[in-house]
Amino acid sequence: MDERLLMNKLREILLAEDREELQHLKKTLDDPQLLSQKISPILEERLQFFKENFPVEFRLAVEDIIDKKLESSREELLEIIYPALGQMIKKYIQHQFQLLKESIEEQIRNTFQVGIIGRIRYALFGVKPQKMAEDILQKLDGPVVEEIFIIEHHSGILLGSASRQETMDLDMVAGMLTAIKAFVEDAFRRGSEKLESVQYGTFSIHLENFSSYYIAAAISGSVSAKERSELSDSLAKFAESELRINLKKRDGSSHYEIKRRLEKYFFKTSTSLPAGKLKTETL
Amino acid sequence: MISKKIVLTGCFGVGKTSLFNRFLYQKFSEKYLSTIGVKVDKKVVEIDGRKISLLIWDVAGEVAQEKVPQSYYLGASAVIYVFDLTRPSTYLNMQSDLDYLGKMLKSVTLKVVGNKVDLVTAEQIGMVEAELPHPADCLTSAKTGENVETLFLSIGKELLG
Repeated sequence: MDERLLMNKLREILLAEDREELQHLKKTLDDPQLLSQKISPILEERLQFFKENFPVEFRLAVEDIIDKKLESSREELLEIIYPALGQMIKKYIQHQFQLLKESIEEQIRNTFQVGIIGRIRYALFGVKPQKMAEDILQKLDGPVVEEIFIIEHHSGILLGSASRQETMDLDMVAGMLTAIKAFVEDAFRRGSEKLESVQYGTFSIHLENFSSYYIAAAISGSVSAKERSELSDSLAKFAESELRINLKKRDGSSHYEIKRRLEKYFFKTSTSLPAGKLKTETL
Repeated sequence: MISKKIVLTGCFGVGKTSLFNRFLYQKFSEKYLSTIGVKVDKKVVEIDGRKISLLIWDVAGEVAQEKVPQSYYLGASAVIYVFDLTRPSTYLNMQSDLDYLGKMLKSVTLKVVGNKVDLVTAEQIGMVEAELPHPADCLTSAKTGENVETLFLSIGKELLG
């Protein structure tokens, strides 16, 4: 027998089993489905291990990457978080300031109440204790009425307004404010309850409803519950004393008259308002 | 100057905001952006030497008028009910809508307006008009501006009395 044939025969005998295994392996590798069946459990196991051990194994590496990224993009980061952070701080300070103010007011009132100390002060300074308390409270920094609108219910037609500075179209403001008011009152259907204020940031709009119109007062600065109630009284008083006129004269002259009265009452004089009221004098 | 509230209402997509923008800003956009809630703007017009401030409320479209918050209509001097000449579904409920508005708003100027007149032929207009439960007061095109100014001015004139 030829030597080569003998060798082949010998190879076949010796390698038959290995060849069969190799063939099976090749088939597994070539068939994606078979391969997937084999590999998936291993991958899943590794993935699970990775999930469980990620913080331990890679914490330092991730921290290092984040540190480097923060260091290199400090400006961008500040750019992103600053507005939100600033607003949060502002609101927090405003809230704390309001609490502080209310506590100071309370303390001043208690201090100047009629009593032995009050009588001594009265004897020394000749000022009544309560008057002194009111004077001090009035001098405290308070919210400022920036704009006032008299708006007809439902139609949103502006009957009169006064403003410290030029703002966007006042008729449009009155219209949109009425639309927002109508939307809120309609959407939440709380019986005859009315929208009383709109707040954004350090700015708030106080709404006081009357029979055929409502008054919207835009206020800057924090407003305590007491000041809100004082403003309500002030607006009611103004409506009673100054708005008993024909508010809708066809020639529009009532508009100017209301503006003049609003300016006189809320912006030009503070004497017309009882002590402790919102700051209404020109800044 | 006298001020009057005008409400633009009708089904969604009939072109209320387009009429609003055409009249107020003389512009038109093919892009459809659904109105959320209501948008208010004003325009002062002069009619026969007299000025009037038109406060226009562009209300979000609804399939039926009962779904529009009632408070949007209160205090209105005029209501423009807009329908789309190319979409019958926008004038199917017209009669019930007009009855509802008439019941809620006594003595207001009510105008029924067929918009998108640029998209229909004279023959098609005739067919639509035959189907309408209430005749249209005016046919407009916010796209070309046809009759838009005329519509608002005629309302202004009526309101001035």
